[in-house]
Amino acid sequence: MSNKIKEQQSIPVSKVQRAAKFISTGAKVGGNYMKHYAKKVVNPSMTNEQLHTDNASDIYKSLSQMKGSALKIAQMMSMDKNLLPRAYQDKFTMAQYSAPPLSYPLVVKTFQKNFGKSPDQMFDTFTRSAVNAASIGQVHQATKDGKKLAIKIQYPGVADSVTSDLRLVRPFALRLLNMNEIELDHYMGEVEERLIEETDYLLEVERSREISEACGHIPNLKFPIYYDELSADRIITMDWISGKHIKEWMDTNPSQESRNQIGQALWDFYHHQVHNLKQVHADPHPGNFIIQDGDQLGIIDFGCVKVIPEDFYQGYFALIKKELLINQKDLDQIFYDLEFISDKDTEVEKAFFKGIFTEMISLLGKPFHVDKFDFADDDFFNEIFQLGDRISNDKMFRKSRQARGSRHGLYINRTYFGLYNLLNQLKAEVNTTKPQWLE
Amino acid sequence: MEKVKPNKTTKVDHRTKIIAGYVEHVLEHGKQPASVFKFAKALNMNEEEFYNYFTSFEAIKSAVWSKLFEDTINNLESQEVFKEYSAREKLLGFLFTLVEELKKNRSYLLSLYGEKKNMKSLLPTEVKVFRSKFKDFANEIILEGKETEEIASRPVISDRYDEALWLQVWFVFQFWLKDTSTAFEKTDAAIEKSVNLAFDLMGKSAFDTFIDFAKFLYQNK
Repeated sequence: MSNKIKEQQSIPVSKVQRAAKFISTGAKVGGNYMKHYAKKVVNPSMTNEQLHTDNASDIYKSLSQMKGSALKIAQMMSMDKNLLPRAYQDKFTMAQYSAPPLSYPLVVKTFQKNFGKSPDQMFDTFTRSAVNAASIGQVHQATKDGKKLAIKIQYPGVADSVTSDLRLVRPFALRLLNMNEIELDHYMGEVEERLIEETDYLLEVERSREISEACGHIPNLKFPIYYDELSADRIITMDWISGKHIKEWMDTNPSQESRNQIGQALWDFYHHQVHNLKQVHADPHPGNFIIQDGDQLGIIDFGCVKVIPEDFYQGYFALIKKELLINQKDLDQIFYDLEFISDKDTEVEKAFFKGIFTEMISLLGKPFHVDKFDFADDDFFNEIFQLGDRISNDKMFRKSRQARGSRHGLYINRTYFGLYNLLNQLKAEVNTTKPQWLE
Repeated sequence: MEKVKPNKTTKVDHRTKIIAGYVEHVLEHGKQPASVFKFAKALNMNEEEFYNYFTSFEAIKSAVWSKLFEDTINNLESQEVFKEYSAREKLLGFLFTLVEELKKNRSYLLSLYGEKKNMKSLLPTEVKVFRSKFKDFANEIILEGKETEEIASRPVISDRYDEALWLQVWFVFQFWLKDTSTAFEKTDAAIEKSVNLAFDLMGKSAFDTFIDFAKFLYQNK
């Protein structure tokens, strides 16, 4: 219990730090422009390249600090465009974070709007202030009939402002993510779709229940129960899951067996969703996982769920077959299907992008090529990041006139990088199971 | 809108009947009746009788506003938690509840106030009673806020806080009239943000400390 209180108090602090971090990056980027123009006066031949590099490295630094060892956003950013939703979301939540938490009268009003009753009438106890911040709302703790509950309340007006907020951050995203406009717009629609879904709390309850039921048979997983009669458009009521976040848990020096058990549960959870349910909890953010006593993994927040279309699924996962990397003809076809290359490309471009993607895939598919993979292996991650750096600094990529990669890949990539990162944090060794058709 | 359907079986309170009739007329026609004579006739009343209750349409509109205020306060006080609220929360609570009450009469309010352009500078006369009632309520909050040190006492300015809070209410009303968001969520956000700003401005700040310091320097130079 004492542990919990500490955790709750620490959250707003880090929120402020995050915001501060973000502001300081803004200042630095501004500074880079100053520096750039100052240098340009002295040396007119200087190009914008230097400026972009300066910007990128400052943003990179700050992003990697911001989430600490969490999702290594910065690395992910340079390695694949999958970062986009994360960065967008962070910006988006950043905008929300700058607002103070909802006042209690507004919480009461939201309840009255949705249920015609005040929280005091609905629950035995209800915390007056938020105990935690969710990305687009806040969480209160309550009790009812001796049960501890978590109540998530959405900020008013968020749902309406998704589109306009995205438009607002677009120019920043262009600069920050170092991608061209065509690419950005290609992904924008996808991001918008997910964000709008995320504001639909009724859908979230439905999906949470669906996925948690479908994954109920997986050992060592714990899901909260969701309460329909206490949930509405802007309010979700579920069981309070107590336990530790991954980072805190790792500080208690858990044994290798414990870490493997959690890691395996995590892997199985994703395996089942991706290959059997074809819809996936696409937000493997450390905050969404809670480790309970007895090495049980609690999973919360199904706000972001990506449904995987069948044809995309076939193409994407066919890539992880080891022998495929040798069979050029099949590979070419898949590259076409997944929109990595197209007929608009010149032969040189085709060869270049094929080379890069093959390298990327063989690297990312590595855990699938063996039966058991040790995610504690930092070399593997360094290799990924180095490749990412190379790609992001490559002129061919930046000048590419078209978007590369199917939009569906955006969240799937993000999910897998997130998963790999979590497993790396856990330093777990897991049985990397594959669906039968890929064995 | 229970007011719209006056109870005709028993001896009706004429005052309530006139208010309800007036609101209904505005709702049906989108404007106020052409004359007291016509209006009274429609209510099966003669003009003379009408003047026993109200002397003009302005007076009726004023009564509607008063009722809005009373309903808001009654609703607010029926919420148990209201007593425990801080000054800031009380004002928030008032505005959120007010908006709920306004919502019940939105069409009426829109047809009377939706089109007007210069409402910011000119306060319609019929709102004056509402304003003075609100100011009494605001002064209570301010007094309480000063006791709990949520609000800083400042010479001259702090006597005008009630006026400032009134302007805020009027701002929220204007904002709400133009709000097109689902369930008026934008208005909720506007209330939340503007009240927070107001209380941050009224609270003790660096500015007070600065004045204090400046005074010290001046006196000791």
